[in-house]
Amino acid sequence: MKTRFLFPNWFRYLGLACFLLHLPVMLLFNQYHDMDSRAPGLFNGPHVFFIFTTLMVTVGLFFFAFSKEKVEDEQIMQLRRDSLQWAVYFNYVVLITTLIFTEHMEMGHILMLNMWTLLLIFIFRFQWGIIRNNWLANKEV
Amino acid sequence: MRNTIRVERAIKNITQADLADLINVSRQTINTIESNKYVPSTVLALKIARVFGKTVEEIFLLDEED
Repeated sequence: MKTRFLFPNWFRYLGLACFLLHLPVMLLFNQYHDMDSRAPGLFNGPHVFFIFTTLMVTVGLFFFAFSKEKVEDEQIMQLRRDSLQWAVYFNYVVLITTLIFTEHMEMGHILMLNMWTLLLIFIFRFQWGIIRNNWLANKEV
Repeated sequence: MRNTIRVERAIKNITQADLADLINVSRQTINTIESNKYVPSTVLALKIARVFGKTVEEIFLLDEED
C-alpha cells in the first residue's frame, strides 16, 4: 500500500538516537540550563544548548512518531489517523486546562512543553493500539 | 457489518497469517477484520473475496444497524 508523508522505518531508530543523544549534552553542559535560552544572538552557548536539547528531543519524537511500521497497511493508517485525532483533542483539553490554572510567569514553560505533549500523546496512543492488536492477534493463534 | 472470513478460512484450511500474506497486509489486520473491529476498504474486500473465489456480498454482510 502506498503511504505518503512518512519517514522510512529506520527513522524510528534515528529518532530514538536523537532523544538519547540529548541526555549527555543535558548532563555535561547544564550550566547553560538556568540561562535564558532566548537571550539575543545566535549560536552562542545557551542557543547551541537549546538546539542540542529541546530541539533534539522534538526532532527525535517527530521522527519516532512519523516513521513507517514494518508492515504498512490500511488498518495501520486508520489507527494512525485515529491516534492523531485523539492526540490533538486530548492535547488541547490539557493545554487549555493548564493555561486556565496557571500564573502568567509559567505560561512560557507550558507552551514549550506543549511542543512535546502532542507528539508524546500520539506516540503512546498509537503504540498502545499496535500492542493491543498484537495481543489480540496472538490470543487467536 | 459482519463477515464470514473465519468460516471461509476454515473451509480453505488457511491461517490468518496465510491469508495476510496472500493479500499483503499484517496478520493483525486480518484479526481486526474477523472480529469486526475494522471495516476493510473496497479494494481489500475485493482482494479477500478473490482469495476465496467468491463475491464480496457472500463474504461481507450488512448488519441491521448499518
